Amino acid sequence: MSELDKSFLEIVDLTKSFGSGDTKQEVLRGVSFSVAKGEFCVLLGPSGSGKSTLLNIIGGIDSADSGYISINGDKLKELGEKRLTQYRRRHLGYVFQQYNLISNLNVRENIEVGAYLSDASLNTDELLHTLGLYEHRHKLPNQLSGGQQQRVSIGRAIVKNPDILLCDEPTGALDYTTSKEILKMIEEINRKYKNTVIMVTHNEAIKNMADHVIKLRDGRVRLNERNTHRISADEIEW
Amino acid sequence: MKGKTKNPLTKRISRELIGDWRKYLVVSLFLILTIGFVSGMYVANESMLSALNGGAEKYKLEDGHFEIDEKANPELLDAIASGEKANVKGYYLKTAKRKLDAAFSDAHDEKAYDEAWSRILAEIDEKYADAEEKYELNDTEFRPVPVRLYENFYRDEEEDHNNDGVTDGSVRVYVKTDDVNLACLMDGRFPENDGEIAIDRMHADNVGLKVGDTVTVGKKEWKVVGLIAYVNYSTLHEKSTDMMFDALKFNVAMTTKEGFDSLKKPIHYVYAWQYKNSTKDENEEKKLADDFLKALLTQTVIAENELADYIPAYANPAVNFALDDMGGDMAMDGVLLDILIVIIAFIFSVTISNTIAKESRTIGTLRASGYTRGELIRHYLAMPVIVTLISEALGNLLGYTVFKNVVVSMYYNSYSLPAYETVWNASAFVKTTLTPLILMFIVNFFIIARKMRHTPLAFLRQDLKKGGRKKAIRLPKWKFFTRFRMRIIFQNVPNYLILFFGVLFVQVLLAMAVGMPNTLDYYKENASDMMFADYQYILKSCEDTDGNIIATSNDSAERFAMTSLVRKSDAISEEVSVYGIEDGSSYVSISGLSSLQENEVYISGSFRDKYGVSIGDTILLDEKYESKQYEFRVAGFYERSLNIAVFMPIGQFRSVFGLGSDEFSGYLSDSEITDIEDSNIATVITEREITKMCDQLDHSMGAYMRYFQILCILLSAVMIYLLTKIIIEKNENAISMAKILGYENSEIARLYLLSTTIIFAVCDVVGVFLGTLVMSAAWKAIMFSYSGWFTFKIAPTGYVKMFLFVLIGYLIVLLFDFRRIKRIPLNEALKNAE
Repeated sequence: MSELDKSFLEIVDLTKSFGSGDTKQEVLRGVSFSVAKGEFCVLLGPSGSGKSTLLNIIGGIDSADSGYISINGDKLKELGEKRLTQYRRRHLGYVFQQYNLISNLNVRENIEVGAYLSDASLNTDELLHTLGLYEHRHKLPNQLSGGQQQRVSIGRAIVKNPDILLCDEPTGALDYTTSKEILKMIEEINRKYKNTVIMVTHNEAIKNMADHVIKLRDGRVRLNERNTHRISADEIEW
Repeated sequence: MKGKTKNPLTKRISRELIGDWRKYLVVSLFLILTIGFVSGMYVANESMLSALNGGAEKYKLEDGHFEIDEKANPELLDAIASGEKANVKGYYLKTAKRKLDAAFSDAHDEKAYDEAWSRILAEIDEKYADAEEKYELNDTEFRPVPVRLYENFYRDEEEDHNNDGVTDGSVRVYVKTDDVNLACLMDGRFPENDGEIAIDRMHADNVGLKVGDTVTVGKKEWKVVGLIAYVNYSTLHEKSTDMMFDALKFNVAMTTKEGFDSLKKPIHYVYAWQYKNSTKDENEEKKLADDFLKALLTQTVIAENELADYIPAYANPAVNFALDDMGGDMAMDGVLLDILIVIIAFIFSVTISNTIAKESRTIGTLRASGYTRGELIRHYLAMPVIVTLISEALGNLLGYTVFKNVVVSMYYNSYSLPAYETVWNASAFVKTTLTPLILMFIVNFFIIARKMRHTPLAFLRQDLKKGGRKKAIRLPKWKFFTRFRMRIIFQNVPNYLILFFGVLFVQVLLAMAVGMPNTLDYYKENASDMMFADYQYILKSCEDTDGNIIATSNDSAERFAMTSLVRKSDAISEEVSVYGIEDGSSYVSISGLSSLQENEVYISGSFRDKYGVSIGDTILLDEKYESKQYEFRVAGFYERSLNIAVFMPIGQFRSVFGLGSDEFSGYLSDSEITDIEDSNIATVITEREITKMCDQLDHSMGAYMRYFQILCILLSAVMIYLLTKIIIEKNENAISMAKILGYENSEIARLYLLSTTIIFAVCDVVGVFLGTLVMSAAWKAIMFSYSGWFTFKIAPTGYVKMFLFVLIGYLIVLLFDFRRIKRIPLNEALKNAE
């Protein structure tokens, strides 16, 4: 891996606060770390630790008060709104705890919503097979279980083959078994398509399947380590 | 890897259409019918206008006509046709010389002759100076206007259309001619023999006459052989000063020369003219008409004839009323369509805003994934644009096929129009396709773009309130249900605002639909109270042909003097009846009349209302055909006259208008005068002058106003349906949760429907009030373009009707809304947001 690939995503001295005066709340207090290309990075931390805010800033849908983020050497804060949208369009895939699917589009079409954004999208049928949704491809979201809906949302994010897949508590609304299925899915995608995955979770067990673990507390990085013994999603328990 | 995927969001549109088909069906039907009607109106209008304009040449429409008291001899006709002014001074000198010579024919006193001649010359100079001013003889911009003249004589005869011996109205009979003002044959044939008559097609329709029937005209039975439409009577205006045509009691007809000669009523010596060098330019045409009138006046003076009537075609309502009215219809319908489209566009935008709020997280996800703001604006904009396009296509299809015929039959029901051919026109396309599309696009674009200004994060957090989350308004310690309802009202302010404007729009339409019949009924019922005498007999002269004063043995008859002046303004020249009233009149009882100063007058209440005149104001009135102006000071008002009228003592009248001390214009009477010969009577003004307009309007518009009332109920129902649907949809989760908590449907309905009902009731009441105000103002503006004055009246029951009609629309919707609330499932609140 080249030096450039090692610091594919660089986060430097990031600060962010909400409110002002007495109600001012510092959410990020000088966060710095870097993520290598193709890495599976987990952002851990309790509620209010700033992990979702950090993810949103990486995703270009929120902005930092100071510090910067660079991807492949490009600093996000130097991009205007239009270029930020293009950045998200070309490089990012998003998965949320809420699946946010379009209710009157079927499974296949919901995935095509992501495919439309790319000139070189993945083959939708192949992806449907990978996601185990091929036989459900004509169903509407309300005919699917929570896990299946989350798989559709992952499909939507991944079909444009983004450089970075951002996942915000993707298993937060799911039961144990379904959560493991989803984690396996993300792991498989990471392996197959070599995307950089950044996953926000409060589930400590998930850190074991990651290449890189960042722990946040009170807006600061408390742990920044790389897993030498990464285990598969199948093996993790909580 | 594969190529570019088509935008899957487009697939949502057809599904959204199918999924919410009721809503889109209602909107589409509404748009289709409105666009269809307006499109039909435009096509019918354009076709009719083309028929009328084309007909002007085909049927040799006059450029104007004038009437003189005596039939013109060939010399006078040649002189008038030359368009040159006569030598008035030469005429005065010639006449004086002839009289002087006659006076001195037996005496040979040259000195006395010369002295008399000198005196006469001085008098002539003075008289000529007066004539110079009166006829603008020294107008340097005068140009001779050569014309072709055609006899267009007629007789006004009595008509008894059902031959029952009772006169039903009057008919103006012309001789069949090929020279000018021809008629389009609508049915049957033209008269060829004595005893045959062709009558106006619309009048025939109105009174139930058809080809082959018999009609009594001038006490003689005639066979109706044809139904016609005269090119100079597209509306049956009896007089050019009539505010409204009268196709029920006035008719125009054509007979052979023999048939015409067999009639008894006096001939009106009317001559139609056509300019040798005609022009299409309006200003130029007016200049031609003005110059021709100046020449005509001088020529009739030296021919010792009298000009009785003069009307250029551009000012003749019988020629122009239909054209103007159809143009007005198009403009009015165009504006109504635009307002309706804007209302529908706002309803659409509220629906879309609601959808955007509901799909907020999904939109956030899409924006976070890289969808641009523009892509999403286009996506949400597609639905109103597509629905509008589909509705326009279907609406235009209906317009060009069904509605065109409806409008055409409406016009044939009101006007005497010639046969027409359908003309396809571009303005209909612009008005019914491009304009609605642009309006729909602009309103929705503006609102959707505003909604889409939020950041992806705001969408993800469902935080779409401007300026962050607003704090809840603190409410007093009312009952829980009351506070709950207040919250619902605060939540739906934009919907209620649209509801208010929608209800107001419907109420304006209803004010017309209810107010117009109310106004007509009012004037019909009170016509006798608005006439100071049941009969006003206007004589041709106060002396008969033998020079005797025309008298009557009718005890109730009272002499009066009258003339017509005009009040000139940019819009129209309003005819003003100026009355000279005898002291202690038993008809016009104005207490201070006899003590008026020299130029003081009373004016009618209609004059005051129309022109906003106050006591002490000065009014300026002009002679109709001459350049002479009168200035009067208003001393008071006289209410018992619907006319735009001025009242003064008869003595003052004689002095102002140069009448002899015994001269008068006619008799006022409360009973019919039977001992004055018809040939001495110029016209009789009766209650019919008021009621004929009301009857005609009632006949032309009455039925449509009733349909219009029903349309207003439907319109309000549609609008309320769409808006309340949004309110309920917005609260589906809350309603579902209330059901889970144990609230009954009726309780939920009380919460959600009662809030809307309260707001609706307020909108309805305010709408009735404001709608009437708006309509009154519009009515006033419309009345300004016509002669005469009718005040807009709504009876107390009319206000109740207006309130109830919109309420009926609401009650219909309320049933649907209650059903809708009942159908919201319990698990709605528990479902995933998607």
